[in-house]
Amino acid sequence: MATAQAVKPDRGLAWVRKESTSTSLAVLGVGAVAILLVILGTALILILNGFTPVEAVERAFKSNETKFICLWSVVLGVASVLGALLTAKKMPTKVSREQAIAGGVLGAQAIVLGVLLWVFSSGDVHKFAINYLDFAPVQKQFPAFLHAARNTVFLALTSELAGIVLGLALAGFASSARAVVRAPARTYINFFRGTPLLWQIVFIGVGIPLGLGINISTYTAAVIALSLNMGAYSAEVFRAGIQSIEKSQLEAARGLGMSYMQAMRYAIVPQAVRRVIPPLMNEFVILVKDTSLVLFLGLATNERDLLSWGNQGYGNTFNATFLIYTALGYLAICLPAIRLVNVLEKRLRSGLVGVGA
Amino acid sequence: MSQSVARLVGIHKWFGDNHVLRGIDIEVERGQVVVVIGPSGSGKSTLLRVINLLEEPTEGKVFFEDTEVTDIRTDLNKVRTNIGIVFQGYNLFPHKTALGNITIALEKVLKVDSDEAKTRALEQLDHVGLKHKADSYPGQLSGGQQQRVAIARALAMRPKLMLFDEVTSALDPELVKEVLDTMKELAGEGMTMVVVTHEMGFAREVGSRLLFIDEGLILEDGPPKEIFANPSDERTKSFLSHVL
Repeated sequence: MATAQAVKPDRGLAWVRKESTSTSLAVLGVGAVAILLVILGTALILILNGFTPVEAVERAFKSNETKFICLWSVVLGVASVLGALLTAKKMPTKVSREQAIAGGVLGAQAIVLGVLLWVFSSGDVHKFAINYLDFAPVQKQFPAFLHAARNTVFLALTSELAGIVLGLALAGFASSARAVVRAPARTYINFFRGTPLLWQIVFIGVGIPLGLGINISTYTAAVIALSLNMGAYSAEVFRAGIQSIEKSQLEAARGLGMSYMQAMRYAIVPQAVRRVIPPLMNEFVILVKDTSLVLFLGLATNERDLLSWGNQGYGNTFNATFLIYTALGYLAICLPAIRLVNVLEKRLRSGLVGVGA
Repeated sequence: MSQSVARLVGIHKWFGDNHVLRGIDIEVERGQVVVVIGPSGSGKSTLLRVINLLEEPTEGKVFFEDTEVTDIRTDLNKVRTNIGIVFQGYNLFPHKTALGNITIALEKVLKVDSDEAKTRALEQLDHVGLKHKADSYPGQLSGGQQQRVAIARALAMRPKLMLFDEVTSALDPELVKEVLDTMKELAGEGMTMVVVTHEMGFAREVGSRLLFIDEGLILEDGPPKEIFANPSDERTKSFLSHVL
């Protein structure tokens, strides 16, 4: 048999250069310059003018440099979009076509941003800036902000962990073949899934101390309510995970003489846990934001979470920049978790998590 | 000690309105290799799975040696440690290595200590020619190799009876032989086996007794060579003329 000496083709930078045309590079270049100009240029002007006092921000948006950026990002954007429309279909290689299309898309994005910047900077920047971009008073509260962020993470993590333990137990009962075992678990899960979390938090925070005469701190009440709620949701995640394992796995384990509990423990649950990690992380991301509902319990100063902190700051100063910080705080917590979910899901799909450990 | 390993008495099985087994009486004796053949949907897999009660019969009694398995007071898990079963889809635990698949039941069910379990597992992997794959995960093995690990997993329990449920049906043709060879070797060692299969060559060559089952009833029961040469029932004749 003849064996063809197949060499894996080189797909390096030199290859990309060879596949490009001067037109495709020009369209890509103009589009890239347009988008970089509007993003980096605006950032640079803001930095050079400084963020405090608030007049500096105002000055930056009203400057001639900003008008220059608006004008040129739109001009360059239109040029690259037109260039892409006229040339993309005629490009000789896949690489050059993709370059032309990318240039056109970047140009279109630059046009949108340039126009938005134009509309914003020609409006009442002063009014907006003193409400949303007045950083000086917020900076003084920065240590309290960090403390609030810590509280939010603590609330979410504690409730997540307690909720997972509770959820595992509930999932076990809810999957039972015996109706008498199943019924209480189902009732619990349905109740907590069927009523608003806000109602649960207020009821537990206010109703329990009043009704039962037990003195619990609002913080404890918040953790209890969030954990009970998380328990119901994670129970459903676990149940779905266990049901997703093929029935034949249970038969194999039972066929070896394992009891039902042993089969669950050694064969089914270890496989199910791998599958439920991404959805549980997803529940965590939701939970981080749901912790903000503790606002309704009225927390002491050192107990405040991110939203309570922002709300308090806004109430005291009528400066909504506090709420901008609040949003940034939630993003800083959630984005890494969202990223982790995506990575885990990808690995799970390619089967890498299925093998090993 | 009685020669009977497994005995089914008046077995009926209903799946909903579907009457799958319609009165089965058989006795499997020590050292027999019982091969069960029949058209698909005839109830042969169900019959096999009734022996270790993976399927509970709707009516009738199942005995293993002198124990009535269908008696609710019988410790079913203990009986099952004496009956190995191998499935069409291998059903290895994907999160465990070949070795781990075998040691888990030894340690957790038979309470063998972990060193001893490892020794016994490696012994069985060697037996099926896969000692060098001990640390591989099922996903890294071919179908034939997975099925041989599944056989080793069942054998490590030192069962008195082995059940094979269409164990070559999911395999690529070139992998069927390695599994059949392993089973042939096992039969040669005197293991009592019940084998549901479509491999007529194996049935004729290795089987000591052949059952032909159709529509939930046993229509033929005898030495394979006689039945292949001279089937008594019309349906057996028609089935054999289609598969041979």
